[in-house]
Amino acid sequence: MKLLAKFLGVALAVAATFAACGAAATLALGSRSVSAGNASVTSCGVSSLAATRKVDNSGNVTQVDVAGIPATCAGATLSIALVSSAGAALASSSTTLTGCTTTCAATFTGLGTISAANVARFSFGATGP
Amino acid sequence: MSTRLAVFLAAITALGCGAAFAATLNVGSSHLWAGSQTLTKGTCTLSGTTATTDTYVDEHAATSSFGSATTLNVSPKMNNRTWSFVRFDLSSCNIPSTGGADSATLSVRITGAPSSSRTIDVAPVGATWSGTTSWNGAQTLSYGSTTTSFATGTTSNVTKSITVTVDVDALIKSGTANYGWRLSDSGGNANTATVFASSEAATATDRPQLVINYEK
Repeated sequence: MKLLAKFLGVALAVAATFAACGAAATLALGSRSVSAGNASVTSCGVSSLAATRKVDNSGNVTQVDVAGIPATCAGATLSIALVSSAGAALASSSTTLTGCTTTCAATFTGLGTISAANVARFSFGATGP
Repeated sequence: MSTRLAVFLAAITALGCGAAFAATLNVGSSHLWAGSQTLTKGTCTLSGTTATTDTYVDEHAATSSFGSATTLNVSPKMNNRTWSFVRFDLSSCNIPSTGGADSATLSVRITGAPSSSRTIDVAPVGATWSGTTSWNGAQTLSYGSTTTSFATGTTSNVTKSITVTVDVDALIKSGTANYGWRLSDSGGNANTATVFASSEAATATDRPQLVINYEK
């Protein structure tokens, strides 16, 4: 009985270790703002996105534009997060892609007072349609 | 006892991870794509050289040009007004139009301060000019809204840093021609002038400079 208990303990510990690794890999997808990572499930044919931002004279972000989104994404929700070099989400927003012709485009405003100098990365998430 | 504790802890950990899997599997089961774009940061410093275009124009000498002068003059005196112009070639910074300026600072050195502090307006120029542009020629140019203003103070040999981020960011994104800025004193008639070092100034560190902190 004691030997069985030891065996079970070791087995569960190993299982827990692998489970912890799995959870670490998928937690990013579980977060509300959807941060960086590789998703095995594609959405509306988008493979990569790039954003450009505008600033005011103080260097604060006033607008973020994302263009060149496949038209098949019409109706999808696009989320964006402005991420610092430390990985903190400085601001985030989302919008439903509408008015698509050959491609879709999204404009994000009202992101608060975020210095462009502090933005190291844009993270995107597309869900649906 | 330690064996029981190990079993208990392992069981609790495994259950917790199981819950995490359940939470993420729900998200993963919808149509989801996630990605990111990492920005590259850099700094580009453009220092005035004799190849940098700057000049001033003088209302009192309306057909003359001063592109080779070692100073840039700004005066509000009626019928003797002077405006200064300065621009930098951004191409050497190699910033693509998908990039942008996080900050941009134009520095100019006051070598001759006015007797009372003046406010200098800095506005983007909307058409081409050169070192041979005269006062009359400057009247035919278009100018944007004042980007920023700064007070000269009354002390000579001080450097003024002027924030021009919004102008430089727009220049980078538009990829259109860069016509630089005009420095003028619209504070009303006064018999005074502010003198800045130009790109032809003998002391290199006195010359205008543009520092761009960019992303791409």
